[in-house]
Amino acid sequence: MINLPVLDDITKILFVLVLATAALIITIRTLTSLLNIYSIQSWVIAAVAFVLYLKNGSIVLLLLAILTIASKAFLVPFVMRRIQKSMHIKRDLEFRYLTPIGSILVGTAMIFLVYWSFSQFLPELSSETMFFPGAVIGVSLALMGMMVIFTRKQMITKILGYLTMENGVLLFSLFVAELPFIIELLIILDLVMLIVLATVLAFGIDTSIDEFHDKLNSFTLWFKE
Amino acid sequence: MSFIIYALLNTAFVMLISPLFVSLIKKVKAYTQGREGPPLLQTYYMLLKLLKKERVYSDNTSLIMRITPYINIVCVLVASLCVPVVYIPAQIAGFGSIILFLYLLVFAKFFMALAGLDAGSTFGGMGSSREMTVSAVIEPVIIIVFAALGLLLKTTNLYDMFTTSLNSSLFINPSTLLISLSLFIILIVETARIPVDNPETHLELTMIHEAMILEYSGSDLAMMEMSHAVKQTILMAVFINILIPWGLTSAPNALTVSISAVTFIIKGMVLAVAVGFFESMFAKSRLFRLPNLFMLAFFFSFSTILFELLK
Repeated sequence: MINLPVLDDITKILFVLVLATAALIITIRTLTSLLNIYSIQSWVIAAVAFVLYLKNGSIVLLLLAILTIASKAFLVPFVMRRIQKSMHIKRDLEFRYLTPIGSILVGTAMIFLVYWSFSQFLPELSSETMFFPGAVIGVSLALMGMMVIFTRKQMITKILGYLTMENGVLLFSLFVAELPFIIELLIILDLVMLIVLATVLAFGIDTSIDEFHDKLNSFTLWFKE
Repeated sequence: MSFIIYALLNTAFVMLISPLFVSLIKKVKAYTQGREGPPLLQTYYMLLKLLKKERVYSDNTSLIMRITPYINIVCVLVASLCVPVVYIPAQIAGFGSIILFLYLLVFAKFFMALAGLDAGSTFGGMGSSREMTVSAVIEPVIIIVFAALGLLLKTTNLYDMFTTSLNSSLFINPSTLLISLSLFIILIVETARIPVDNPETHLELTMIHEAMILEYSGSDLAMMEMSHAVKQTILMAVFINILIPWGLTSAPNALTVSISAVTFIIKGMVLAVAVGFFESMFAKSRLFRLPNLFMLAFFFSFSTILFELLK
């Protein structure tokens, strides 16, 4: 339990890094860089949890930091890299509804919207200094992840969008409410399950969902009498 | 009086080290490509050689072509007074204002584009047209970036900004990290470096900056090259003085001034190496994909404003 102002400042720098990685995840087209950036983002979020542990001394936060590093900085990117190798695509060049430029603009607008709507009620809820920025950035990160899901066409980038969303929710939960550790553990397990499932499916997914649908349709004959 | 001393010192220092950074970036790029590269003093030799050569003008050119090199070098050198690198002088009316600084740079750029059109060659016209297109997109972003900087450091004067960043640290103002990302992108765009323009190409259809100065020769070309190098140094100096101002001083004496000059050379060389590596990592992107890069700068400066609101 250390209460130093420097811890708050470190948290702020980490928030800056979270925002920077989020912007890069929205715009970058090379899949390997995307995976690396996701890995970096997970490290940063683990660092936020660790700094909070130093500040509050709650052992759950330390466990969360370790769990985040083990699962999201190592296991998930490792499995995702294997998926990517099996898919023989290196870049995601297709976008739907929004180009990266549009996404960045919408992302900026979203952060401001979240800031504005949270500033109506959140500052009264807690006296913790880092509580409000943490909540704003966590929710914006989740929304940006959602935007990645609907603007990208490649399956693997969509999974990354889902993972980014999960990172946002984790960041939000770190600051707003202390969830029981078992729930955090279950979320991580879900995540790992999702990735394992995606690995299995990836052998059938070459490019996009639409093609995959056609591929699955060809198997329907097997089930008809 | 003290301002005149500052002006002489700062201008001489900036002019002296600018070619060094240009050569250093070339050297780093050569190393990453497995080449030996030109010697570090190559840009100085080139400028000296060009100053000795005669100037050749096309018959079709007008006055614009002849005065542009002078306008360019004067604008950029006056702009360099706004960015102290040897020491931060006492306030003097007008100098150090962000608006003045940006307008001087844009003024030089405007005349360069005019000169590109002046000779009537197709390359020059294309270069000018591209330069203006890129500026039309990057200019609002630059204004937003400097507005965010103004909000962050609570002033619109560059001298005050550097004093503030000198007295605070990264921990007090963590958003300087975000704004420095934007400043780095501006540095890359304004000095015509790789994702935007390729400084190596001299006769290529995609060139922007080189196309505009294609018609120049002799001492005119030397002045254009010099003003480009000085512009790069002052944009690097803005980046360095905001993010890592250590060593800069606002109490000038022989010792502190030499410390700040030496530290600036070291920091500038590190930044030049970083720029060289950055350039080697990327390929030149298509013209229509450039707004992507600018939007990142825009996003980072908006996030800086948000961080100020969150405080």
